[in-house]
Order: sequence, then structure tokens, then C-alpha cells
Amino acid sequence: MSPTPAKPGGTRIPSRRTVLRGAFTAAVVTGTAGALLPLLDHERAAAARPAPAPEAPAPGPGSTTEEFAEMYRGREIRGTATVVVPAGARDDDRVMVAAEPGSEIRIDGRPLHVMRRADGTYLSDVRHYESYPTLLETARAAVDELGAAGLAHPAAHRM
Amino acid sequence: MYTRKNQRDLTRTEKRRLVDAILKLKRSGRYDDFVVMHREYYVMDTERRPRPAHMTSSFFPWHRQYLLEFEKALQRVDAGVSVPYWDWTQDDRPTSSLWAEDFLGGNGRQGDRRVTTGAFAYEAGNWSVGRGVTDEHYLTRNFGRPGRDPVSLPTKNDVARALKDPVYDTEPWNSVCTEGFRNRIEGWGIRGVRTVGLHNRVHQWVGGPMAGAASPEDPVFWLHHSYIDLLWDRWRKAHPKSAYLPGRKPASPGPDRDYVFGLDDAMPPWSVTPRKLLDHGKTYRYA
Repeated sequence: MSPTPAKPGGTRIPSRRTVLRGAFTAAVVTGTAGALLPLLDHERAAAARPAPAPEAPAPGPGSTTEEFAEMYRGREIRGTATVVVPAGARDDDRVMVAAEPGSEIRIDGRPLHVMRRADGTYLSDVRHYESYPTLLETARAAVDELGAAGLAHPAAHRM
Repeated sequence: MYTRKNQRDLTRTEKRRLVDAILKLKRSGRYDDFVVMHREYYVMDTERRPRPAHMTSSFFPWHRQYLLEFEKALQRVDAGVSVPYWDWTQDDRPTSSLWAEDFLGGNGRQGDRRVTTGAFAYEAGNWSVGRGVTDEHYLTRNFGRPGRDPVSLPTKNDVARALKDPVYDTEPWNSVCTEGFRNRIEGWGIRGVRTVGLHNRVHQWVGGPMAGAASPEDPVFWLHHSYIDLLWDRWRKAHPKSAYLPGRKPASPGPDRDYVFGLDDAMPPWSVTPRKLLDHGKTYRYA
């Protein structure tokens, strides 16, 4: 496993430099928890023992489904989830994307490795045995779990 | 043939020998290889590649072999040790002898959650963590995760309920199976069905590395999984006619079948099949 790579541009989050640490508290969240349901579930719906049903339709290709930046318990957390399926993609491509979603979380500027379960929920390297429907909840849970510790420097990631 | 005991029944000498063997393995670098291995094979059920360890049918046999390998490594250091089990339905208090100074040390302290007692306290000079998750090198614990979202240890009733399920595992053989012994024990939370349980919940309760991607960094990992392994035995005994699933490939061609390990599929990195691991009676027994 490798750390989730940084996304090249295309997000609506302002550059870190424009954000005064500690000076903002409002979360910027576009979309809803319900909008984060996985493309994969559509693929599996027929054969799979179903996970609880989606509450909202899957977001369209190219859209940012979730975006936030806030101070939480003294830590700066930022995240973005983008659906990067090109218009007209075949179903098979959509499965690929669902498996490697454009999701990124940073805590105090350092990347948190985020993964996804088959029901579309997220989990992280820090809290690895419990998952959450939104990136924001995943980030807050990771801060809770970290306590006083920081994330490892990206270069320290082994896999 | 050797015996895996309940950790509460270990003598003072048995505890010391086990701790010493673990510390020697750590010093040699072998211990950290096990940490890395667990991380490597913890594959998500959204990934399009084989997942032998978690979110999968072979959760039990993969960890059985993983523990056997760890135990073999320990026994090369001291032939007289084995991996005891922690029955967390019984020893569910932070004051359990498991967490005493002479064994695994206790809960993390207030503030930085650092473990300050026992042989695995950073200050003792023999134990450091930090395989790429956090930037600290001292072992931390946070029993029960007090605060916003606390967790309790699973109970005897929780275990009994899981053991009652007569089916080993069900399609799609992943983390969202609502039925089947395997995922009931592995314990993935499923929205609208059940919250995080059993195996996963114990990882959460301990906190620190145990809650994260480098969970074997806390030696309690092995005692926890020894008990999980024992529960597989109990389930097999309770349901002698129930088979490991999935069985032969053509019988169950679900969408996830290519990435999970059926009875006769060799699991990496050891190329051992679940079938070979069903019965361990010639190697070890539980007391």
C-alpha cells in the first residue's frame, strides 16, 4: 500500500498558504454524507448481499463530493473527495475508480492514508478497524485517535 | 506439540520468558518484519487484488499461520514459549494482570497516552514503535477510548451470538457480509445492521498502534489473535458439519471470488491453504 498521492489541482480548497492556521473554524462541506456512496455498490448490488441502501444518488463524474477545512481539537484538518470518472466511462472503469478514489485527508499538513470499504465508507491508517461515511468524520476520528501525536512525515511511510 | 495458555494462568517465570523472547525478536529486527507483513496483506475489499488477511473469508486461517510463524520465531529464541491468549470477556479491566508491570505494562498516561510501565515502555529502552503511521516512537494505549466516542470490550454474550451462526462465511466474502461466523467475529460495522464488534472492537479498545495500520506494534496483538484463533476452534466444535467457505471455485463464482481464498487456495506469503490450517491438533492445543 502507498500513501494516497496528492491531487493535482482541480479542487476548490484554497492553497494552504492563504489559510491562517487557527483563524478559521468553519467547515466547507459540499455534498452530503449520502452523496458519498460508492459506484462499486451499483456493480455489486445484484450479486452481493446488499449493504444498506444508498440515501442519495451517486455524484456525477468530475464532481467534488466532499471538501472541508477546519480546526478540530487544535489540529488543522483538510480533506477532499473527488469523483474522477470521465463522462461516458465504461462500468469497468468506474469500478477501478471506486477502488482508488480521489480522496485525500491532511492533518496539520501531513497526508493521512485513507482507504475505502465495499460499502463506500472510509477508514484510515490511524483508525484502521472502524469506518465512516464521510471524509470529515474519518479525519476527526483520526485526530481523536492520534491524541498528542502527529502523523508520520510522508517520507517515513514504508508502504 | 505445545500448549497455548490463558494469559491469566501464566506463572511469573513464563511471563518473563515470553517478554524476554519478544524483546530479543525486536532487537534482531524480526519483530518489525511481522509488523510490516501485517500491513502489507491488509488489503481493502475495494481493491482489485487478492486479500488474504482482512475483510475476507481467510481472516481465520491467514492469522492462524501468521501466529504460527511468529510463534516459531519466538521459539527459535526460547523453545519453551508459546503465544498465550487474552480472553477479553473475562479479563476486561485495566487492572487485569495482563497489564501489570511484570507482563505487558499498563494503559497510557493522561495527555500523551504513553505507556510508562513494563518492559514495553519506551523509557525502559527496549521498545520503540513508528512504522510509518505516527511520528512518535513510544508505545501508546488509550483503554476504552474515553471521550467523544468511547468503546467497551465485547462481552460473553457477543461471543456466544457469533458462535451460534452455523455458516462460516457468506457472499460476497467481504466486510459487508451481515451473516456468517467470520464477519461476526472480524467485527466490521455495517450501517443499519450492527456497530463495530468483537475482533475489531478489541483493537479499538486498546487504542494506540492497536487501533491502526501497524497494530502488531503492541505485543498484545498476539494475545488477542490467539484468542480469536481459539474462537475458531470453538465454532468448529459447535458446528462439526459446517465447512470452511468458499469451497471449490466453480461452486461460488461471485464477483469477489477471484480475490478471496477458498479451501484449497494457497495464501500468500506462505502458500498454505486454509484446508491445511483447519486442524492444528498436532502442533498446539489450547488450555
